[in-house]
Amino acid sequence: MTLLAEVMNHPLDPGYAEAARARELGTRGRPTVPGRTVALLLAAALGLVTVVAVQSLRAPSPSIVEARNVLQQQITERQDRADALSRSIATTSAEVNALQSQALAEQSPSLLATVQDDTVASGAVAVSGPGITVTVADASDAVADDGAVDPDRRVQDSDLQNVVNALWAAGAEAVAINGQRLTSTTAIRSAGSAILVDFVGLASPYHVQAIGDPDTLRSTFAASNAADQLKVLGESYGLESSVATEKHLDLDGGGPSTLQYAKPLG
Amino acid sequence: MIAFVGLVIGVVAGLVLQPTVPVSLQPYLPIAVVAALDALFGGLRAKLDGMFDDRVFLVSFLSNVVVAALIVFLGDQLGVGSQLSTAVVVVLGIRIFSNAAAIRRHIFKA
Repeated sequence: MTLLAEVMNHPLDPGYAEAARARELGTRGRPTVPGRTVALLLAAALGLVTVVAVQSLRAPSPSIVEARNVLQQQITERQDRADALSRSIATTSAEVNALQSQALAEQSPSLLATVQDDTVASGAVAVSGPGITVTVADASDAVADDGAVDPDRRVQDSDLQNVVNALWAAGAEAVAINGQRLTSTTAIRSAGSAILVDFVGLASPYHVQAIGDPDTLRSTFAASNAADQLKVLGESYGLESSVATEKHLDLDGGGPSTLQYAKPLG
Repeated sequence: MIAFVGLVIGVVAGLVLQPTVPVSLQPYLPIAVVAALDALFGGLRAKLDGMFDDRVFLVSFLSNVVVAALIVFLGDQLGVGSQLSTAVVVVLGIRIFSNAAAIRRHIFKA
């Protein structure tokens, strides 16, 4: 431990003590003019080097800033593009529906009725009607003051799945979570800490809207396992949940689902 | 005294001129700054102890920076750059702390 002892006990350069002794003894010559000039220049150079080093360490590297800006720009551009594309999907599918109804209305009115029933049942088009809203939210202390997230105190995908299943079982005819309509190909799952419904990330509170007879929905849901589970979750983990009857609910359509591999029989 | 004047001139020149550091020198900067801090604290303590000396101060400053840069360079060549940098920072850090404590005792007598 000689090194550490040396560093701890004699932090001052021994040269200072020697120089002081030499000065006392008078064995040290008077500083000459060239000597002083060299010292001045050396000191200036050292000061310059130090301050330049400090400055370039403090400044964020320009290449990092540039890369960040490029990424930011790309994110915004692609988001705009995705928004534009989803808008064009919505208008095009509305157009397709209108043309389809128009064509079928002339040729085969009964087929049109079947198609309309099917699109409503599959959740492809917007519907409205009475129903109930089940709201489930993370516990108010799910995110601590220091930003730490307690996953046990947040709503999980399985909680929402149970609620939705109970609503279907209670006779719901159309269900949407935070505006995302559940269709025949919609999955409710989690990716990391987010809950994805039809590949769209949703955040707490989750409003599960179901169209159906409000009284039946309400009473059957209240008697279901999902309602019991919500109660237990509320007591043990602080998840908040409530059920409200709605006279009128508007649920957006989920859009036409594109089946690439499934083909009708026959 | 002359060392202090020179340092001030250099700092002002650096702030005014704002020269850019070549990329190849970038890895040596943090260690150079720590070495410079060590020399500055040593000089300040010597001043308070009444045995400051321009020549010793400048030589220790210069050798600190050069040796620190050399150690980082060698470490990079040997593939132990980060460990050697840590070693340098630890040793210089302890020295800075001890000198700062001595300076504190001088100023606050406690």
